[in-house]
Amino acid sequence: MKKEDTVKLISREGFEFIIDKKAAMVSQTIRNMLTSPGSFAETEHGQVTFPEINTTILEKICQYFYWSLQYASGKETEFHIEPEITLELMMAANYLHT
Amino acid sequence: MAMYIRVKRNKTTYFIQCDPTETILQMKEKLSNLIDQPANDQQLVLMPAGDVLEDSKSLADQKVENDAVVALTLRKGSLTCCICLFPVLVDISIVD
Repeated sequence: MKKEDTVKLISREGFEFIIDKKAAMVSQTIRNMLTSPGSFAETEHGQVTFPEINTTILEKICQYFYWSLQYASGKETEFHIEPEITLELMMAANYLHT
Repeated sequence: MAMYIRVKRNKTTYFIQCDPTETILQMKEKLSNLIDQPANDQQLVLMPAGDVLEDSKSLADQKVENDAVVALTLRKGSLTCCICLFPVLVDISIVD
């Protein structure tokens, strides 16, 4: 696992999540941010800040990315979502195109 | 990809992909690529149980499962020593 293959996602409260680029690419929005031509800061440093997503939601989203990869490779487990975060999670998922 | 664990320290969480048969030492080596700290300066603690994970054992041996949270602690390194020494150096220069 190399530093270049990871991206850092930062929540509203400033908590950082370092995940594999491959996992982050599950989100179409993040994929566009990281692969768009021209030297954008996001592309160069592999770092994206989400001032509108709080830490709990962002962590759940990262877990979802990995779950999605596992599911795609044939491991059929359930993805548990706590009822109290459902609405916020859906809004974030909509924004991230996941 | 078989599984992943969440390694947490301060405000940072690392999602590390791994296999249940991998040893803790192998996990620490993966981490050292990301945090510039050698494996023997790291200590991993399984949450919420609080058990210190041993280098030679595998993840499966110590009941570290998919999506587990592991806390990372670091041995006091050379950087912290520098900070401790700094006031001493300042004192000496004042005396001079």
